[in-house]
Amino acid sequence: MENNSTQLNIQQPTHEVTIFAEPIFNVGGLQITNSLLTSWLALLVIVAISLAIRLKIQKIPNKLQNIFELVLEGAMGLVDQVTNDRKITDKIFPIVFSLFMFILVNNWLGLLPFVGSVGFNVLEEGHTVFVPLFRSGTADINMTLALSIMIVIASNIFGILTIGVWKIFNKYVNLKALGDIFTKVKHDKSIVIVSPISFFVGVLELLGEFAKVASLSFRLFGNVFAGEVLLASMGAIFLYVLPGPFLFLEVFVGLIQALIFSLLASVYFTIAAQDHSEHEEEHSEKQLASV
Amino acid sequence: MQDFINTFHIDWRLMIAQMINFGLVFVALYFLAAKPLRNLIKDRTAEIETGLNDAKTNAILLEQTKREYADALSKARIEAQKVFEEGKKEALVKKETMLNDARAEVSTMIENGKIVLEAEKAKMVNDAKRELASLAILAAQKIIEEKK
Repeated sequence: MENNSTQLNIQQPTHEVTIFAEPIFNVGGLQITNSLLTSWLALLVIVAISLAIRLKIQKIPNKLQNIFELVLEGAMGLVDQVTNDRKITDKIFPIVFSLFMFILVNNWLGLLPFVGSVGFNVLEEGHTVFVPLFRSGTADINMTLALSIMIVIASNIFGILTIGVWKIFNKYVNLKALGDIFTKVKHDKSIVIVSPISFFVGVLELLGEFAKVASLSFRLFGNVFAGEVLLASMGAIFLYVLPGPFLFLEVFVGLIQALIFSLLASVYFTIAAQDHSEHEEEHSEKQLASV
Repeated sequence: MQDFINTFHIDWRLMIAQMINFGLVFVALYFLAAKPLRNLIKDRTAEIETGLNDAKTNAILLEQTKREYADALSKARIEAQKVFEEGKKEALVKKETMLNDARAEVSTMIENGKIVLEAEKAKMVNDAKRELASLAILAAQKIIEEKK
């Protein structure tokens, strides 16, 4: 009986949707996961599309160029709505648009029929486990975390380049607010209470940067991974027709998530490029003027 | 933290690999597609703007030219009318002069003709007289000869 069950296990490999990307092979100590393979595939697709556009670019656009121009113009309009400044849009658009395309292609590649279904069997603890060769790139926290860290760091660098190191430093470690206690206390006694609060707000801002990384990465990962689980579950209930509507839903979710991630990135870039202390000073000046 | 890393299989090398992937996507998308396309769109927009401005200028120019053409045409008509009138007047004057000249010439010719005719007539009469005289002489001679 035991033999029979072992045989049964070997004949019918189990496939559990894991929360992490499964390793496929090793290159010099680096485990190449199925998600990394898919993101390489996404990279290839994007390079191919870009090359096709570059080679067929012409003043009177063809179909592909038309679509791409439409997407490009629409995306610029969206980023413009966030930044409200064409100069900032021009600077951040390449990175935001690349982010959108990379996430979108990765999300959609994860929905293709061969992703999750083409793979090989591995013997793990006496069980034969099916390991898919491809898994959506964004269904791996390493990918989303990498992108989020990169965006948060890039937004701060952008802030430094736009408004200066001192202002960005003061945003997190508000030495200026602490200094104001000594310089402005004669004119305004309330500064003794306000300045430490401002300093603490700066510390919160610093924590907020970590929160940004967490929220960006887990939102994308969670949505895409949940989509995979949902599709797998629907397929397990009834393989035919039933997953169809959910597949459409996932196409939509993939687009929305790519949009949210890139728009939030543009929001972070815009916030980093704004000088809050100037706004506050202007605000206080206006208040004084109104008094 | 370790639990978190173990649960999600977080690997910094994979993260760096994904960052490199994104970098490549950025390079490919920006330098191969987005930048040339944006430049192209900018150029096209500039061209269209120039074309529209040119079209506007051309329309204004066309309108102006039409007006100038109409003005020139009407001026030319007036001028032509004037020239025609003057020509007509001049022609009438010339006609009158020519007619007068012709009349004068004709009358001179008639006068001359008359004088020539008179002279001819006188000459003819003289000739006739002379002829008649010679005839009379001849006749008288014949008569005389016959009587002899």
